[in-house]
Amino acid sequence: MSWVTVIWSMVASACLTLAAVSALTWWRQRNDWAQALFFTAALGTAILAFVELRSMHTQTPAEYGLVLRWAHVPFFVLFVSLVGFVRLYFRAGRTWLGWTACGLRALSLVLDFAFSPNLQYRQITELRHVRFLGELVSVPVGVTNPWVLIAQVSLLVFIVFALDAAVTVWRRGDRPSSVALLSTIVFFVITSMGQSVLTFWGLWSFPITPSPYFLGILAAMAYEMNAEAHRAMEQANRLRKKEEWLDLAADSADVGLWLWDFKSNLLWATEKARALYGFQPEGQIPFETFLSSVHPDDRDWVVRASLKCSQEGADFRNDYRIVMPDGRTRWFRVLAKAFLTPTGVPERMTGVSLDITERKRTELELQQQRSELAHVARVSTMGELAASVTHELGQPLGAILRNAEAAELFLQSPTPDLEEVRAILADIRTDDQRAGEVIDRMRSMLKRHQLARSLLDVNQLVADVITLARPEADARKALVSLEPEPSCPPVRGDRVQLQQVLLNLLLNAMDAMTASDPDGRRVTVRVQAAGAQVEVAVIDHGHGIPVDKLARVFEPFFTTKSNGLGMGLAISSRIVEAHGGRLRASNNDAGGATFAFTLPAAEGGNST
Amino acid sequence: MNESPLVRIVDDDASFLTAVARLLRASGFAVKTFASAEELLARPEPDVPGCVLVDLQLPGLSGLDVQDALAKVGHPLPVIFLTGHGDIPTTVQAMRHGAEDFLTKLAPKEALLNAVTRALDRDARARAGRARLDALRTRVSALTPRQLEVLQHVVKGKPNKIIACDLGIHERTVKLHRTAITTKLGVSSVAELTMLWMEVSTLL
Repeated sequence: MSWVTVIWSMVASACLTLAAVSALTWWRQRNDWAQALFFTAALGTAILAFVELRSMHTQTPAEYGLVLRWAHVPFFVLFVSLVGFVRLYFRAGRTWLGWTACGLRALSLVLDFAFSPNLQYRQITELRHVRFLGELVSVPVGVTNPWVLIAQVSLLVFIVFALDAAVTVWRRGDRPSSVALLSTIVFFVITSMGQSVLTFWGLWSFPITPSPYFLGILAAMAYEMNAEAHRAMEQANRLRKKEEWLDLAADSADVGLWLWDFKSNLLWATEKARALYGFQPEGQIPFETFLSSVHPDDRDWVVRASLKCSQEGADFRNDYRIVMPDGRTRWFRVLAKAFLTPTGVPERMTGVSLDITERKRTELELQQQRSELAHVARVSTMGELAASVTHELGQPLGAILRNAEAAELFLQSPTPDLEEVRAILADIRTDDQRAGEVIDRMRSMLKRHQLARSLLDVNQLVADVITLARPEADARKALVSLEPEPSCPPVRGDRVQLQQVLLNLLLNAMDAMTASDPDGRRVTVRVQAAGAQVEVAVIDHGHGIPVDKLARVFEPFFTTKSNGLGMGLAISSRIVEAHGGRLRASNNDAGGATFAFTLPAAEGGNST
Repeated sequence: MNESPLVRIVDDDASFLTAVARLLRASGFAVKTFASAEELLARPEPDVPGCVLVDLQLPGLSGLDVQDALAKVGHPLPVIFLTGHGDIPTTVQAMRHGAEDFLTKLAPKEALLNAVTRALDRDARARAGRARLDALRTRVSALTPRQLEVLQHVVKGKPNKIIACDLGIHERTVKLHRTAITTKLGVSSVAELTMLWMEVSTLL
């Protein structure tokens, strides 16, 4: 067998192999258009190699003309593929240059079929046999078609396009291998073009053999793409290592990682996360499965908060409870982020879940203890009100007794005044309600209660406490007045504890004024909203706080009163802080002291 | 002076005020209600007999203030204190100021009615005593200074002769003064005169 047949067959089969490999690769990842173009380029080169082999073995000028004409078809495919590849793979090269090159090439293809025998020759006069690789092959001799310039210009434009792309890539600071590949492409195209130009213009008698050059280009491209794949693999390895580290870190921190895909509504979770939530170690986790494990009291707001986050692409930071398959309840702190597609459609939510059951239990115990302490302090504060409350209760009870006795007397008369008796009964009912209200107010302050946060109207809260303390204020001849805030935002808090704080401050204010002239015993409670805060200030006209003690008034067991335990302000301060606010003390310029506490205005959102 | 006794009730709690007034009226007393001590003191009507039923813990002037103010007028009315609860210091203070009675608001009806009746009795007695003393004072004030001097000696049981000697006047003149004194004071014996003087001396 001749060397020409061997080499060209090998070129063709090498190209076909490359084409097959790239076709398979592309099939697996169909949006990789550079890979698809590589495939068409390889296929085009393979066919070109066959056509060239055929042309070298033609025996008549007519046959040669026909083969040469058809050679334009695979070459066109190869050409366009290369332009597309450069554009897609390097994301470089001016588009208009690419289009011009392709346009010119398309035009030469059309002209190729318009002219006879083809674009290169007006007429092929004879076939000369030249020795090539130890064999005689056919080389055409004839009148050159000047339109062949179009094809050659298209190659020139391609070279400019590729050079321009190389410059862009180089300037962009991409990998040097990209520049090298573009240079290789340019080099082989120039070489191939030089050879064919010389032959077509009859300057050199040599067979037209561009396919080996293009095989060179393909080989360079394949090498670069393989290197790229290798780099991707290394990256994947590094990522895998990172993932392992992350898993290790997550495991050792008892943290579960998960991802919620909105489209499939499935959850992907790490082994740890599955264990934490009590899910099966294998198998799909539909969102509903997760939801049914959420504590019934939390389920509603968890769904609402998740939807809100997913729609806005916002962060989800909340604590919720999960009921484990064995019925135990566990607390989780969850930090998650929702992601939207570029078009704004909710796509997925990725999150980290931390088991905080232990922490929560300690917190609850602490809260319980604080609540107990607050209760003790409250009972002791209410003790100070005992005398005035007894008096307050004595009024309606006394009235009821006297009314009942009077009614008995009326009824003993031979002609009882029933109208009067009816009036008496109505009065008895009113007084009974009055006594009931006093008892209710007392009871709500005295009973041990579960901490319950609700939305509160601060003006109303202050007014209620003033009502509670009114008899005491009367007994002490102190005038308590309220300056409400007309547009007060609600706050979220525990009603009883905040009332306790206020009552404490009111009683302190009155204590501070015992030595004052009765006309000057005035306490003003001022409610003010400032930004996202509501401030309640209790302003008295008493003796004020000695400057050297101002800093210590909130310390436990610090007291200036002979009969005080010194816990009232310490506990009040802690209650206010637990509500996210601050309690401060200051002396007024005009005498007396001001105790003011702030509370953050409630947001519309949920709380835990 | 012969008006029927009036029970004045002072309490800032309208409901209690009405209820007590009802009970006392139904029990046959004349009643007048006041919402504050100030209201009562604005028109004390000292000539109208009776008593005062006052809440110890009033805003403004307290029950004790009412008692003091009435005493200053010179015609003190007996005061019964009412309180939601009776703590020892206020009870002691009230009694020291001469409170007629001290009752809790929830005291039995009988205790309240008895206290009112007692207070009215005491007021009536005090008023009768005061009326008699007033009459005496009028009679004593009719005596001349010299007659008053002679009277002081007479009630000491001195004979006319000694009195005349002490005052440096004639025994006859002493006798004339004695006759004028017994006539003006409307007494017939020295014993009577002595008893009257003992009463009067508390006024001087």
